[in-house]
Amino acid sequence: MRASEEQLRAWMIGGLDGNAASHAALLRALVPLLRGFYRRRASGSDEDIEDLVQETLLAVHARRGTYDRDRQFTAWLFAIARYKMIDHFRRGRRLTPIDGIEELLVADSFAEASDARMDIEGLLETLPAKQAAAIRATRIDGQSVAEAAIAHGIGESDVKVSVHRGLKALMARVQGGRR
Amino acid sequence: MNTDHLIEQLAREVPPVRRNVVGLRIAIGMIAGALISVLVVILWLGVRPDLADAMRGPAFWMKWGYTLSLSVLAIAATARLARPEPSGIGGLWPMAVPVLLLAGFGVAEMLRAPPTTWLAMWLGHSWRVCPWIVLILAAPIFIGLLWSFRRLAPTRLRAAGAAAGLASGAFAAMVYCLHCPEVSAIFVLTWYSLGILLAATIGALLGPRLLRW
Repeated sequence: MRASEEQLRAWMIGGLDGNAASHAALLRALVPLLRGFYRRRASGSDEDIEDLVQETLLAVHARRGTYDRDRQFTAWLFAIARYKMIDHFRRGRRLTPIDGIEELLVADSFAEASDARMDIEGLLETLPAKQAAAIRATRIDGQSVAEAAIAHGIGESDVKVSVHRGLKALMARVQGGRR
Repeated sequence: MNTDHLIEQLAREVPPVRRNVVGLRIAIGMIAGALISVLVVILWLGVRPDLADAMRGPAFWMKWGYTLSLSVLAIAATARLARPEPSGIGGLWPMAVPVLLLAGFGVAEMLRAPPTTWLAMWLGHSWRVCPWIVLILAAPIFIGLLWSFRRLAPTRLRAAGAAAGLASGAFAAMVYCLHCPEVSAIFVLTWYSLGILLAATIGALLGPRLLRW
């Protein structure tokens, strides 16, 4: 069974307080999460995926001080995972992106990205909180349905339904706004 | 190496981490760099001889208020971008407040002075060198911040570089006040800001290369 956001966060905070067992439990729990994250996004041999997983574990360990205890742990984790993956692609390593690498790279041009983000944030605010959170997690932060479900402590089908309903409502709003 | 083995090794050394370690590291890097900048001012440019008198007048505090408020905002942005979170430099808009306030001061000053002196107020005695000195004084602070970033985790390297450049430039301008005898608000608004912007631009250019981890 995969660990929940609360469990991961508790282990992380334990590690930050100096508890080695808690830190080890966290790293072990991250392995399947990261493998899944990278397999869905990059194609290559299992060995290369494992290299990336290990690199990310090292980063999580070395930079754990940058985790803010009041924030969501999985958001911090996947931001690091995504950064490591883009860095890997940029350096022209063996893994190749499955899709959407252009989007990942374009998002680096921060001015455009932040403008677009503000538009999106404005629209998302008009939705019920659960739908907005589900869309934000799966469509903006690039988490999978399973990751989003863990992060928000709700079922996978609940995430899917929220995304579907939210997008439908947004579509209606945007088209309505144009007319 | 086997992943389980790696985890075992990593879990062997788990020192406790302080809550405010990001802020602390940025502060250490900035202060260490700024001390070098202060030394450069003392040894190369010289502290203005009338500093004690100047500190009793409004012009000095106008300059310090401007550069200090920009520094605080830029450091806050740098600290935000030092964490792996999807935030851009959109949070910098409060910087418009000190800029607009200073512009207001500048206009008020000009209205009180005869138009024939406006050009002299704007160019002062040192407009040719001011932006460059600010940029030079920003370099040690920027290097200090690069040291800070070695243990931090920026994921938007260009934005983080720009914020670090901005923070170094604004802080360097504060240090430069120890030497600079200029008194008009439009001088500061133009030439100080130009130096700060140069530092931010160079930071944005260098960020993707130097902040990778």
